[in-house]
Amino acid sequence: MTDVKVFLDESELPRQWYNILADLPTPMKPPLHPATGEPINPEDLAPVFPMNLIEQEVASDRWIDIPEPVLEKYALWRPTPLYRAKNFEKFLDAPVKIYYKNEGVSPPGSHKPNTAVAQAYYNKVFGIKRISTETGAGQWGSALSMACQMFGLQCRVFMVRVSYDQKPYRRLMMATWGAECVPSPSNITEVGKKILEEHPDSPGSLGIAISEAIEDAVGDENARYSLGSVLNHVLLHQTIIGLEAQKQLEKIGEYPDVVMGCAGGGSNFAGICLPFVRDKIHGKEVSIVAAEPTSCPTMTRGPYAYDFGDLAKTTPLLPMHTLGHDFVPPPIHAGGLRYHGMAPIISHLLKEKLIEARGFNQIDTFTAGVNWARTEGFIPAPETNHVIAAVVQEAQKAKEEGKEKVILFNWSGHGIIDLAAYDAFLSGKLTQYELPEEEIERALKSLEGLPKP
Amino acid sequence: MIVDLEIRCPKLGHQVKFDYCEKEQISLPCKRIIKCWQIYFPVEIYLKKKLTEEEWNRCFNEKPKEKILTLLELIDAAKRRKEKKGQSKDKL
Repeated sequence: MTDVKVFLDESELPRQWYNILADLPTPMKPPLHPATGEPINPEDLAPVFPMNLIEQEVASDRWIDIPEPVLEKYALWRPTPLYRAKNFEKFLDAPVKIYYKNEGVSPPGSHKPNTAVAQAYYNKVFGIKRISTETGAGQWGSALSMACQMFGLQCRVFMVRVSYDQKPYRRLMMATWGAECVPSPSNITEVGKKILEEHPDSPGSLGIAISEAIEDAVGDENARYSLGSVLNHVLLHQTIIGLEAQKQLEKIGEYPDVVMGCAGGGSNFAGICLPFVRDKIHGKEVSIVAAEPTSCPTMTRGPYAYDFGDLAKTTPLLPMHTLGHDFVPPPIHAGGLRYHGMAPIISHLLKEKLIEARGFNQIDTFTAGVNWARTEGFIPAPETNHVIAAVVQEAQKAKEEGKEKVILFNWSGHGIIDLAAYDAFLSGKLTQYELPEEEIERALKSLEGLPKP
Repeated sequence: MIVDLEIRCPKLGHQVKFDYCEKEQISLPCKRIIKCWQIYFPVEIYLKKKLTEEEWNRCFNEKPKEKILTLLELIDAAKRRKEKKGQSKDKL
């Protein structure tokens, strides 16, 4: 039997995070304050972040030391094992070796605590007593709840009402770790009260929850706000994933041809890929692929040009799927379809063509996830299924091209608390549904007279 | 049929129905609604009929802001609300 896992000793845990800003061939432009037109001043962010984290947000040092108390907490589940997915390789029957970092071994079951623990620590040493945040399904809220408990901080999580009702288990995890989980909109904040007055049955949204979490922190000297993705310091903390993977692959004499991660806000993707982007900048041949959710690429009813370039604003217009025989919906500015939550660093790397992005629909992703669970055993988080779908695609490509490939990806979390999503898939509720042609024709007929592009 | 269908929301991380996406920004749909739903029905055409041009542009054609700029706006808005609340208390 050959080895399935590659371990690092705790003594081999990386002692520094990697900051990609030091190596970018084209520097990122600093965001300008909308009121002054000048680059943002650290003081502008001081009401919501402690200054030590603001310093990390704008830091240009290549390596940033991981504080000892953070390493001590990391050691509870890090270094995470690097697995070789031999059963999935066999299932795919393609000339590929598939390695993955199992971030599902952390206490909350995802990569999120890599930054939650660091953020809680920096808030603690800055003298903060309480942290507020927002969450959807609760992956971030639960990770921060655990991290706050580890450093003796209070934690208040504004959970989107519809998620609060649908996802009781992560809410209970937050409570178990001592956090206060509040359905949003709430009566705690002015913004929440106003929304409830006008819309008592509001299901909430991430936009409302973030407004509440910020209001909760602003003006309270003892409180700050915490964000689990997108920002530079969050991506910085996640680089421990890729740094460990590099050490583990080096131990077995491998280097990946392709590095992959799923990209929502960009933090777990950044975690696995940024150290490899550094290698690429310095001449290594490696493809780096972000897998993002979309329903669009599989559209079959007409010519369709899907372009993730909207993320990097490389295409001013996004051509839309054509419906019917002579009807072409008017184009929409690409920016309008852009996912507003994507990390600027990831957008920048995309624009610089250092990484590429591919979209996968929910049926392909769940199919890949179920096949994974049936071969490798572990049930992936639904988000993780996107990257597994990307791995399947890459393996098929390798088979078609007759090329051997080494694939590395980030298995960002387990799906044990997301089994309702699997139930929806397995019971056919997520079946790819398209309106029958005649219904579309009827719908379009009823819209005759609308301006044509 | 569409009203009963659930798809996975990539922002929240669980299933939602179309009516949630349609009101995600209270008076406006989620900015991702076309990307997520277009495969199921011509949602773009449906929304063009439903929204005013101004609402359409606000939802789909505004240049997205960087998160950090959104945070600055939310900080300012929160400060204003707290000041207003403080003034109301003073009057009492």
